[in-house]
Amino acid sequence: MANFLEQTVNGLVNGGFYAMLALGLAVIFGMLKVVNFAHGAFYMLGAFGAYLCLRELGLSFWWALPLVPVVLGVLGMGLERAVIHRLTRLDPLYNFLLTFGLTLILQDLVKWRYGVSANPYEVPAALRGTLRAGSFEFPAYRVFVFGFAVLACAAVWWLLTRTRIGMVVRAATERPELTGALGIDVARWTTPVFGFGVALAGLAGVLAAPMQAVNPLMGADLIIVVFAVVVIGGLGSILGSVATGFGVGIAVAWAQAYAPPVVAQVLVFVVMAAVLLWRPAGLFGREETPA
Amino acid sequence: MLRVDRLSAGYGEATVLRDVSLQVAAGEVVTLCGRNGAGKTTLLRAIMGLHRQVQGRIELLGTDLGRLPPHRRARLGLGWVPDDRGAYATLSVAESLTLPPVVGPEPWPLARVYEVFPALYARRGAAANTLSGGEQQMLALARVLRMGARLLLCDEPTEGLSPLLVGQIGTILREARTHGVTVLLVEQNLHFATTVADRHYVLAEGRIVEALDNDDVQAREHELLSYLGI
Amino acid sequence: MRTIRIRKPLALAAAALVLAGCGGGGPRGGGGSKLTDGKIVLGVLNDQSGGYADLGGKNAVVAVQLAIDDFKAKYGAKAVTKDITVVTADHQNKPDVAKTDAQQMYDRQGVDAIFDVPTSSAALAVADVAKQDKRLYFNISAASDDLNGKSCNKFTFHYAYDTNMLANGTGAADTEGGARNWYLVYPNYAFGQDMTRGFTQAVSKAGGHVVATAGSPFPNPTEDYSSLLLKAASLNPKPDTLGVMQAGADLQNVVKQYNQFKLKDRGIKLAVGLMFITDIHSLGPDALAGTTFTDAWYWNFDQTNRSFANRFYAKTQTRPTFAHAANYSAALNYLEAVQAAGTDDAATVVGNLEGKKINDVFLRNGTVRAADHLVTHDAYLAQVKPSSQVAEPWDYEKIIKTIPADQAFNPPSGDCHL
Repeated sequence: MANFLEQTVNGLVNGGFYAMLALGLAVIFGMLKVVNFAHGAFYMLGAFGAYLCLRELGLSFWWALPLVPVVLGVLGMGLERAVIHRLTRLDPLYNFLLTFGLTLILQDLVKWRYGVSANPYEVPAALRGTLRAGSFEFPAYRVFVFGFAVLACAAVWWLLTRTRIGMVVRAATERPELTGALGIDVARWTTPVFGFGVALAGLAGVLAAPMQAVNPLMGADLIIVVFAVVVIGGLGSILGSVATGFGVGIAVAWAQAYAPPVVAQVLVFVVMAAVLLWRPAGLFGREETPA
Repeated sequence: MLRVDRLSAGYGEATVLRDVSLQVAAGEVVTLCGRNGAGKTTLLRAIMGLHRQVQGRIELLGTDLGRLPPHRRARLGLGWVPDDRGAYATLSVAESLTLPPVVGPEPWPLARVYEVFPALYARRGAAANTLSGGEQQMLALARVLRMGARLLLCDEPTEGLSPLLVGQIGTILREARTHGVTVLLVEQNLHFATTVADRHYVLAEGRIVEALDNDDVQAREHELLSYLGI
Repeated sequence: MRTIRIRKPLALAAAALVLAGCGGGGPRGGGGSKLTDGKIVLGVLNDQSGGYADLGGKNAVVAVQLAIDDFKAKYGAKAVTKDITVVTADHQNKPDVAKTDAQQMYDRQGVDAIFDVPTSSAALAVADVAKQDKRLYFNISAASDDLNGKSCNKFTFHYAYDTNMLANGTGAADTEGGARNWYLVYPNYAFGQDMTRGFTQAVSKAGGHVVATAGSPFPNPTEDYSSLLLKAASLNPKPDTLGVMQAGADLQNVVKQYNQFKLKDRGIKLAVGLMFITDIHSLGPDALAGTTFTDAWYWNFDQTNRSFANRFYAKTQTRPTFAHAANYSAALNYLEAVQAAGTDDAATVVGNLEGKKINDVFLRNGTVRAADHLVTHDAYLAQVKPSSQVAEPWDYEKIIKTIPADQAFNPPSGDCHL
């Protein structure tokens, strides 16, 4: 029983990563209608950023946690202005290809500079212990990650539902043309929203650095799973991507613990296919409204 | 207030509007009527800047709208009331009202909006698209009145509404007019049109074929009805 | 563009001269050579951009070039040819790419022997091409014992190491050292399954018991192994050793997460199936301190190894993995065989190599087994040092004991018919 609980909590921890990444993807897709394939690369840059902060600047995890996402967010805004923005009026496929190319460029730049091998990054000293309750035992850092992910999702939720910025983003996401006709400069918001989504990916990357091997290819495959999460939750649905992120985390953890390896491997994609057949707009999505 | 001069518009190869010229004076309520496909909605969208494939000139209060994007036109005082009523699913009624910026000298305060539209007050926390059709139409109107828009572009606000609600819309438009709001209205309901409007343009195949006043409309009601195919 | 167009004939003439100069033209050195095309081309086919690029990769090309340099220095004018070059390609760990690249190398680039090829599935594809084209292939970095078992062929040699060597070393040594109950986690593909089979045999033979095995997806997009690790504590009987069969970046993830879950403190020790020194470097030695594993070669083992490592360092600014040393050794021994045979005819060179006893910088008590083309040699039981004992960069291993060649490798399986 304790082990089942440990497995479930662990699923939630992993779900936190899916949720944060899916949330960024969903916000970007909603506002820009861009399927940002480079999201995994930004996640990798987040982890690498944490590593470089430590190695080059001597800045600990606690500094990297706010600093790296901000820097990446600014970088993301620059990229949006420089290239992505130019293609938003064209078929979404163009930007999908563009961000795919960006992924390869970012990965190769990091490979070229730092090699393909992973780099050591430790759990911050304060969180190296484990939390115990009876026979239930769990690494403190993972609990922290889960808490932080929930907090980050809640903060985004608050931002989107309780602030004027969030209101504008929701309106522009749902009906960009109407929102423009009501006097709101939708284009002005696409750059910060893209940067924000990128910052969220960077945040997930920083949080992953102490848990996973920090190498240029991390996130390259993860992004496929996150795409599946977004599709299951409903493209552009904020609540959908968060709920599905945590749900998929638990489901995969259970499958890995209690089913043959092949189940965990295909589970997410089988669910995605089923959802697409049964509810093409996703579990939390709405059918497309005419513009 | 509004001057449209030799405006042509199309979709790809197809021309939808040909050399349309019209004027709306400040404080006037003017309707555009015509059969489906005559180009009424395209004309409104072209004025709003939502339809980009246009030639000709559109002036608002003496300013050439040129290639201005829709949000800039809205800020010059255009109030957009779309034919689908534009109710957001992700915004509450109250949020929908406060979403657009204030653009004119005489915006309606929120309190006044709620006074005039008690149904919106009662449901201010609900998602806008959960309102009834009539309430959604009220919301679309209230939204641009709260902006302080000077020229409302209303695309068939009475479509599908009960006579009672149609009457209410008329009341609101007349009320707005007394506060100096100008209205360009796409309308199929001739009777309703004569109760709110001063003048009427008849569009056919992308051209303005007639300009009428209320007396003309009443005198030629049967002819016009058959012409409009109603 | 305009100037180039005007001067095109001139440029062409210049290019022709340059090419003629490079090509050398005329009769080649090493009188009496019977090389099919007067030259020898070695091909290094491996991962140059993915997870295995640091353990072999471009530096394996450097190692092969060192072998060529040493060969030329040794034989000078008596060398079978002076025209020895190395070409290379990135197979991205994909069997189909590896197959196409291998065909390209043999057919278009005139490659006489292909070296390296990590990832067992890619290696098996290349072995197939070698068999069809009747050209040589020295597998270095792939571990599957099928290469010298049911998929063996006359033109393929399995150099350096295999899954049995890893299992016999680590599985037996740790079990004898007190590991009674093993929990094996493996990547769910050919290599991982082979390793699990080999470890299960070795552990049982040494009197231990494999409590459970658990596969992880391969490739594993989530890079997460925590579910498998958490399972360890719930097994009955409770395992005292976690045997990790993952390699490269996957291994690094498992170890990082093993440390996070404090499995060591919960009485579950770590044993690693396949580890390269680059893995220790990536994780930092403290993440692995005390872990025993089987190494095919270690750069700081003795003076011979060290002087090779120093030459390698001068060119790469890094220390060689056993795969780098093995690529060097295989290339040099291939060239020696061609020199001895006086021809690059593949069948003749194979004849020269079969049964050969070799001692060099990589092979100690080495034998090119005629029965199945496995190249056996002494292996080493190594232990990762804590950072406090690391005396210089890359000084991560303490060699506990040498495993004699005949104990390190299994005898021929009988599945191989050359």
